[in-house]
Amino acid sequence: MMRKLWIVLRKEVIDNLRDRRTLLTVLVFGPLFGPIFYVAIMNVSVNQQIANLNQPLKLPVQGAQYAPNLVDFLKQHNTEIVPAPANPQQAVKAGTADVVLIIPREYAAAFRAGKPAVLQLVMDQSKQSAQKSVGRARELLRAYDQEISALRLLVRGVDPRAVTPLAIENLDVSTPQARAGMLLAFIPYFFLFAAIIGAFYLAIDATAGERERGSLEPLLTTAVSRSTLIGGKLAAVTLFSAVSLGLDVVALSWSQGLIPAAKLNIVVNFGWHTALAVFLVMLPFCLLMAALLTVVASFTRSYKEAQTWLSFILILPMIPVFALFLFPAEPRLWMMLVPALSQDVLATALMKGAALGGGFVSVSVVSTLVIGLLLAWFATWLYRREKLLG
Amino acid sequence: MIEVDNISKHFGRVQAVRDVDFSAPDGRITGLLGPNGAGKSTTLRIISTVLKPDAGAVRVDGSDVRINGEAARLKLGVLPHASGLYPRLTAVENIRYYGELNGLSGTALRQRIAELVALLEIQEFADRPAKGFSQGQRIKVALARALVHRPKNLVLDEPTNGLDVMATRALRAIIKRLRDAGHCVLFSSHVMQEVAQLCDDIVIIARGRIVAHGTPDEIRRQTGETDLEEAFVKAVGETGAAA
Repeated sequence: MMRKLWIVLRKEVIDNLRDRRTLLTVLVFGPLFGPIFYVAIMNVSVNQQIANLNQPLKLPVQGAQYAPNLVDFLKQHNTEIVPAPANPQQAVKAGTADVVLIIPREYAAAFRAGKPAVLQLVMDQSKQSAQKSVGRARELLRAYDQEISALRLLVRGVDPRAVTPLAIENLDVSTPQARAGMLLAFIPYFFLFAAIIGAFYLAIDATAGERERGSLEPLLTTAVSRSTLIGGKLAAVTLFSAVSLGLDVVALSWSQGLIPAAKLNIVVNFGWHTALAVFLVMLPFCLLMAALLTVVASFTRSYKEAQTWLSFILILPMIPVFALFLFPAEPRLWMMLVPALSQDVLATALMKGAALGGGFVSVSVVSTLVIGLLLAWFATWLYRREKLLG
Repeated sequence: MIEVDNISKHFGRVQAVRDVDFSAPDGRITGLLGPNGAGKSTTLRIISTVLKPDAGAVRVDGSDVRINGEAARLKLGVLPHASGLYPRLTAVENIRYYGELNGLSGTALRQRIAELVALLEIQEFADRPAKGFSQGQRIKVALARALVHRPKNLVLDEPTNGLDVMATRALRAIIKRLRDAGHCVLFSSHVMQEVAQLCDDIVIIARGRIVAHGTPDEIRRQTGETDLEEAFVKAVGETGAAA
């Protein structure tokens, strides 16, 4: 039985290694899609963040002549005052300026009279990329506001501290790894993706493809039980899935060196030990996916139909990843019962350098394996039925 | 020796095979003859354990296909309707896979493959991927694959379909040689001349039932026709089936 299972496994591997599309998917596209995407995105966003913080804020100001002191204050605080566009609203709407400060003619008179002097900030709340500039401008104006009020109180002989009952300090308790973890949040999707895409074409070829070619019927007339046949096929699909996942983990581990993490003062915990641990906790997912893809492909009548249906499964692991992204939650034990979610949570924790307990890992491994084996059993049952031949 | 014992099989509301009962002895070529859709392929698929009969039994050298399918399959070489080769594997690799699945390995398997490559004149394309094979080449490889484990019994589903004259003649010669070596050969066809030329026994099947059974002479006598084709038309016509 084991010998024949091995024969089937070996044949499927050799046969499919000769298929260029399968080979490209398992060895190149699946493993490298994540790392390349990741390195590119990270480099762009990290460099942008750093650039934004160090560069002077370019602030178009209309009516600068009405508030020379304010303008001086801004200049002292790393702001480059540029002439305002003719129509500030239009310019912000069109995106040629992130934010524009308008100092009305009445400003000086109101300021001198000790009444609130109106300043206008023109901004577009819906424009994400402009929010950094808007925030910096607002922060600067608030600082100037506080400075002036302190001075006015002092002139009147009042301790400015009387009107600042609260002093709020931000104490960031996130460890460098945890801050990095936020950046790593979407990496588990790449792992799940690599595991699925690695299994994708072989699962179709070994089931729907075999039937479409007419090679399934003669195969069933050999002196091998149907459960051995499907067992060998499942083992081959799982192997391809694991190879794709393994390459992906290695590539991502290696690609961490290409990300300017140090510039953000964070520590990325993705060395060889973490990579190996991530690979091992993800491994049961490979079996689960191999069985799921095989079952679904067994229901279809042709290679094309199988491709269509299996494409939907590619989206499945996105659901927990996005759910965690939108509703961040602390890891809970029940999460370990949900495949894809449990691997996502475990891998994220490992990369944050906050490994979860062995209880979490064993519940995840056991539950994913059990579901995978149930699906594998279902696939075997499907192969015992005559309808399989279509 | 293949014994078919009153098998019936239906798909949905269609009764594909009803009370089919015959046996194909060793050292003889038995032809399963009938119009398209008569139940030939269904009968052969039940014998090769791909389908299960609703009723009745099939024994291959004494092994019941339902009770001991693996043992029965080991004594059976099957050439199905579609040759079903793996296009990315070479001719030899296709044959070797089936040899291994049927329990052969090592030197014995290598020798057996070399033997079949020579017997079926596969040398020229032995190490080419099956993708570009002609129909004749495909049938040869599929036949080698069916013979690799030296099965005593052979089931061939319309083997000459799509073959040219020379390839058909070569295949007939091979089938006769296997018969003379003591094999039981059961093959299906809807071509009267082929069956008349080749078969020692003929089973005529129409609408899922056996309508005539015997040697060519016996069938001529049963139907009262001297020409076998007329006998076939008469036998099939008796059940009202359109040939």
